[in-house]
Amino acid sequence: MKMKQILAVVLSAAMVFGLAACGSNTTAETTTSTETASVDTTAEPTEAPEAEAAEEEHEPITLRMAWWGSQTRHDRTVAVIELYESLHPYVTIEYEPMDFDGYFNKLATLVASNDVWDIFQLGSNFPTYQSKIYTLNDFIADGTIDVSGTNDAFLRIAADEKGNQVGLCSGVNTYGIAYDPELFKQAGVAEPTENWTWDDFKNACLTIHEKLGIYGSSKFDDWQAGASMGINQEGFGIGFFNKTNDGMGFDDPKMLADYMQMRADLVDAGAFPDPGACNEIADIEQDFVVTGEAAMTWVASNQFVALSEAAGRELKLINPPRKKADGPAGVSIQSSQMLCVSQDSKYPEEAAKFIEFFQSSVDANKILLAERGIPTFTAVREALAAELTDTEKAVYDYVDLVGSFDTGGETVNPSSPECVDAVKEQYKYYLDKVIYKEMTAEEAAQAVYDFAASQF
Amino acid sequence: MSRAKTDRIESGRSPWNRFIYNDNTVGYIFASPFIIGFLAFTIIPMLSSLYYSCTNFDLINEEKWIGFANYINLFKDERFLNSLKVTFQYVALSVPLKLAFALFIAFLLTRPSKMVSFYRSLYYLPSLIGGSVAVALVWKELFARNGLINTNLSKLGIDTVNWFGNMSTAKWPIIIMTAWQFGSSMLIFAAGLKEIPTSYYEAAEIDGANGWQKFWKITMPCLSPVILFNLIMQLISSFMVFTQAFVITGGGPNDATMYYALYLYKQGIQSRNMGYASAMSWVMLVVMGTVTAIVFKTSKQWVFNEADS
Repeated sequence: MKMKQILAVVLSAAMVFGLAACGSNTTAETTTSTETASVDTTAEPTEAPEAEAAEEEHEPITLRMAWWGSQTRHDRTVAVIELYESLHPYVTIEYEPMDFDGYFNKLATLVASNDVWDIFQLGSNFPTYQSKIYTLNDFIADGTIDVSGTNDAFLRIAADEKGNQVGLCSGVNTYGIAYDPELFKQAGVAEPTENWTWDDFKNACLTIHEKLGIYGSSKFDDWQAGASMGINQEGFGIGFFNKTNDGMGFDDPKMLADYMQMRADLVDAGAFPDPGACNEIADIEQDFVVTGEAAMTWVASNQFVALSEAAGRELKLINPPRKKADGPAGVSIQSSQMLCVSQDSKYPEEAAKFIEFFQSSVDANKILLAERGIPTFTAVREALAAELTDTEKAVYDYVDLVGSFDTGGETVNPSSPECVDAVKEQYKYYLDKVIYKEMTAEEAAQAVYDFAASQF
Repeated sequence: MSRAKTDRIESGRSPWNRFIYNDNTVGYIFASPFIIGFLAFTIIPMLSSLYYSCTNFDLINEEKWIGFANYINLFKDERFLNSLKVTFQYVALSVPLKLAFALFIAFLLTRPSKMVSFYRSLYYLPSLIGGSVAVALVWKELFARNGLINTNLSKLGIDTVNWFGNMSTAKWPIIIMTAWQFGSSMLIFAAGLKEIPTSYYEAAEIDGANGWQKFWKITMPCLSPVILFNLIMQLISSFMVFTQAFVITGGGPNDATMYYALYLYKQGIQSRNMGYASAMSWVMLVVMGTVTAIVFKTSKQWVFNEADS
């Protein structure tokens, strides 16, 4: 009997061990699940049409590519990939469309295993992945990538401060507020103007909620609105991080408090979705503005077309509210994202050729339709400008408007330091604490500041 | 051992044959797929996570040895302590609920009926699909602000519940989902119930025992070893709750469902503090080992063992 009991203990101990091992490998497990999920949507490398082949003989090669975005972006990008494969029958491109969080989670594991996709998409967080980026300077110098169709300013927004061309910009965008003018009218609220303030925003939300019983505003990118852009609004040349990405760019934590307080007040009043409701929105096509449950929402300007199409109503774009009516707008034109070649690629030159095609080919961009932001190649922009729809025109006009804002002669840092993901996560955490009244806005602002400062 | 086999071993003159037909060799060869898998996918990753737990590994840069700093920082991290608290709360609520439910259904299904096996399969179904992302997404829709549950509540004239917007209610959909996957515990209970000799019940009936007495005096003691087994299995799997919280609530609101494994994932993959996350997983191992050991220690008091009586 004794024997049996000992055996039972040993066996179950082994089991605990084994299962706990699974626990410690949660990360590995989840990556496989995202992998399988993406495999479903990916693959089916399209059969290259039996085109009369290129003049030169080529070994067939396979490139891997991944990006994040909405369904609209996935469909259009896949169409461009198929077009490229039909023009270059020796190239097969395996692709993985993903959502934003899933994309960066997978990228982190691929970086660790030295297996990053040949062609991948990055935003302002590129310094984090710099060691994995194959810079394009040589390809530009030897003409593999022809940049005569764009200009230095557009190249620079996809380069680091040392002048390394880390990628080619897929388009420029900026942040803004999309709103439904009809709902504003019904609630008797004046439509926002370019000098509106956060107080105006708060009052508009409260009035709309009171009159119509819906949310004044839908989910915000709180990090952008309250911290990144929010700090830019404090004065020209002030940013959350400094320009060399090695320290803080402001010194008064109170600058973070107002936004947090306002968010908490609006949730309290029912004029802004609580964190549970925000969590119901998976992507821009399910936003509460689309369902008619909110009158405003935060967008990146290039998302405006997808949002309007999903809503099927007339929406308008305006810049985010300012801290002071005559203060800096905080928003600026930036590279929405870029395509990069990875250090792990076996065919960096082929990957670079594809990126050049993707960004500069008029045919390709007639499929993409500026969904990643306004194209940076002149010929492409002109070709698209000829046949803009009303919503697309609204985006162009809005980006022009932001471009005309006074920047005080300061340029905005296009990149962010490596710790940005951890700081963002902590910002959200403390914002929730304010919303659920476990902290005051001042305490939370101080805590965010201390955490961010401790990262350097 | 069969006569024929012994003969063959004798006849194999070469040392190779003697080696390959040796019982131990045969045993190891057949066990090798498991052993290789266990070494490659369990032991090596575990040891490397032990190493990383003492470094500041961030997936991208070369790691640096920092000793026990990660472990010390863990206990200063309020989010970590909160994740421990909500995980214990979840385990304490979901495990008894699930086991009680499983036992109840297993008990109902001991009745002699042609439909029993059909019903057993039916009730097992949620366990097969329950851990999947698809079901978690369905659950998210069910309990959404305008989801099926709230729509029906309002039809019945009851106030709707803002399940995921409220710190105190957000855990319930997840706990209910866990309890709903009672199938495998139910099957084990059903097998255990079958093992109890009917003569015990007959004897009790003659002595005039009612159904309630029969359950507490006969069923429960005889079933206690099975309960112990189920309890330990469910404790372990509940501590590792991840998918449901990840998909349904994302850990919110305000960390009310930020369970241990989910926080570990957030630290390791989202914030790329892989060293810190590795330290967390080792603390988890210790915590789960301790809880399991306590259950074993106390089991002497309540597990009835026929051999001892």
